[in-house]
Amino acid sequence: MSISTYTMPLGPVHVALEEPVYFHLTVEGEDIKNVELTSGHVHRGMERMAMQRTLVKNVTLTERVCSLCSNSHSFTYSMVVENALNLAIPERAKYLRVMAEEIKRVASHLFNTAIQAHIAGFKSLFMHVMEVREVVQDIKETVYGNRMNLASNCIGGVKCDVTNELLDYIMKQLEVLEPQTDELYDIFQTNHIMLTRTKGLGLLPTEDALALGVVGPVARGSGIARDVRRDSPYAAYPDLEFDVITEPGCCVHSRTMVRLREIKESIKLIRQCCDKMPEGPVCVHMGKIPVNEAFAHSEAPRGEVSYYIRTNGTDIPSRLKWRVPSYMNWKALSVMMKGAQIAEVALVLNSIDPCVSCTER
Amino acid sequence: MDTLLGILHMCIFPGGIFALVIGFFFKGLDRRVEARLQRRVGPPLIQPWLDTAKLLTKETLIPKTACTQAFLLAPVVGFAGMAVCAAFIPVPGVFDGLSNMGDLLVLFYLLPIPAIAMMMGGSASSSPFGAVGFSREMIIMLAYETPLLMILLSVAMLVGKSMSGGDWGAEFSLLKIVEWQQVNGSLGYNPVMIPAFIAYLIFLPGTMGVAPFDIPEAETEVVEGPLLEYGGPLLALFHVGSALKTFVVLGLGVAMFFPGTIGDFWLVNLIWFVVKCLVLMLISLTVVKSATGRYRIDQAFRFFILVPTMLALCSLLLVWLI
Repeated sequence: MSISTYTMPLGPVHVALEEPVYFHLTVEGEDIKNVELTSGHVHRGMERMAMQRTLVKNVTLTERVCSLCSNSHSFTYSMVVENALNLAIPERAKYLRVMAEEIKRVASHLFNTAIQAHIAGFKSLFMHVMEVREVVQDIKETVYGNRMNLASNCIGGVKCDVTNELLDYIMKQLEVLEPQTDELYDIFQTNHIMLTRTKGLGLLPTEDALALGVVGPVARGSGIARDVRRDSPYAAYPDLEFDVITEPGCCVHSRTMVRLREIKESIKLIRQCCDKMPEGPVCVHMGKIPVNEAFAHSEAPRGEVSYYIRTNGTDIPSRLKWRVPSYMNWKALSVMMKGAQIAEVALVLNSIDPCVSCTER
Repeated sequence: MDTLLGILHMCIFPGGIFALVIGFFFKGLDRRVEARLQRRVGPPLIQPWLDTAKLLTKETLIPKTACTQAFLLAPVVGFAGMAVCAAFIPVPGVFDGLSNMGDLLVLFYLLPIPAIAMMMGGSASSSPFGAVGFSREMIIMLAYETPLLMILLSVAMLVGKSMSGGDWGAEFSLLKIVEWQQVNGSLGYNPVMIPAFIAYLIFLPGTMGVAPFDIPEAETEVVEGPLLEYGGPLLALFHVGSALKTFVVLGLGVAMFFPGTIGDFWLVNLIWFVVKCLVLMLISLTVVKSATGRYRIDQAFRFFILVPTMLALCSLLLVWLI
């Protein structure tokens, strides 16, 4: 280390980080020369815990892996157990699952966008985005009774049916949400400060993105049309129409734009769910548990989340393993941080929408 | 006797207590209006007093690796510098300012003191965040001092030339500048001075360290930078210094550009002065900070060189040529 460089700790507790992760920055003036990353502060031993609980209890456990994509975990976990049990779930349950998933996606993307404004020091925009997000929070609270963990999935379907009255309510809230999302899109597309701070920052060229195998909005922000919902459709997605959003910019700004445009697609999906929702039961019985292994994956707000399960004939799984999107996107940070400044570390980090709790579980 | 009177002016009016009351009132109102612009309720107007009172009850912690004297001295220097500065601000129709010659130059030298105190505290705290904050404070100070000097020069030259009957001249007494404007009309309405006034409006958020120029203390980047290691009474002293600075820079703006009075009664003029300061604060600090995010330090530097410096230079050249 030369005299002009010094180390600066960022984290584990830092204003710009929602979750604990420790950056060891070697800094020269404002420029970053080297980034070392230490994590493991929120390891909770969840895979081990999952192997000590019954299949049914694990729905609750997996929902608590992460807060913002909680529904994706219980959703994918239910799917993997259903695959192991060779269980076919009712049509209505498929639509209800997709609906819950997309509502969570809207809330998650809006949250990430708000945090970006917060990190860029734009408090009013942060408040504005959070206020828009409140519309989605109201949907969650009214329909599912909770503002974060929806607790809607169970093995064999969903726990509670959503009545027609509530579907009307969701449609009404979407009418409110859509113009506000358009407004947000315009703000992020045109605001001088947000553009100067995020455009061209944290570059992840398409070749690097492919080589690193990034997923979710990070991949789509680098122009790779990669989306599990379309590439290997599950639940009700084969019957629904939506576009896979890509942006060619490869920078922080294009990732934000991907998220904001995906909100529009999610609104479209929720509307289709409300319209096409078939009548019928919402849940089926589990039946006998065979000795089997299975795999399932889905598109969480942050990208592909995949689950693997091995059952041994009892109601306790002998192995449950999952891989979360942040694990794949994490490595791309070393490419994005190249040549960044101190002021940009938090913005670049936020652009992959890191979920530390998911990754360390 | 003069010395005693001077000390009284620094401690009670317009420096010291009066400036503190006004400064804290402005800070409280600033937070309240900003909250309303963001559809929040916001804290009560006395929140800055409550914050300071709370901080005063806390213990003083000094980091083991810090340079103790400099660390302790920095907030005091910043506070004292501003308390002296406040006494030089003329309140039109009420108070003429502590000195009647060359006080504009004195103000130019005293105004950077809080920033220097911040740098001193930041580097003495031995925290890497303090060090980053130090270098950022230095850069942003260099960026906003240039336009400030040009603004002050153009005001002084315009008044000086007029007073000496069109010859080359500069008037560095704020009192004379105020008096000249009361006879010949406020400089804020003078088309030649409008670019300088806009430059001053941009200088205000820069010197007060609010968005988009809150870079040295950027919370999400360097966690309050130089202030990170401060707590308790020392932090309270920094806050008090900042409140005094609010009064000083706004008062200076009013004295240079809109020093008009209404009537002869001192109380009316005092309220009129406060109202003008308030309007200046709302348009240059509160609204700007709720409508923008934060620049990166190099972007802020480029912005200061391109916009306010050029505007101030424009006024300076116009004053020089006409």
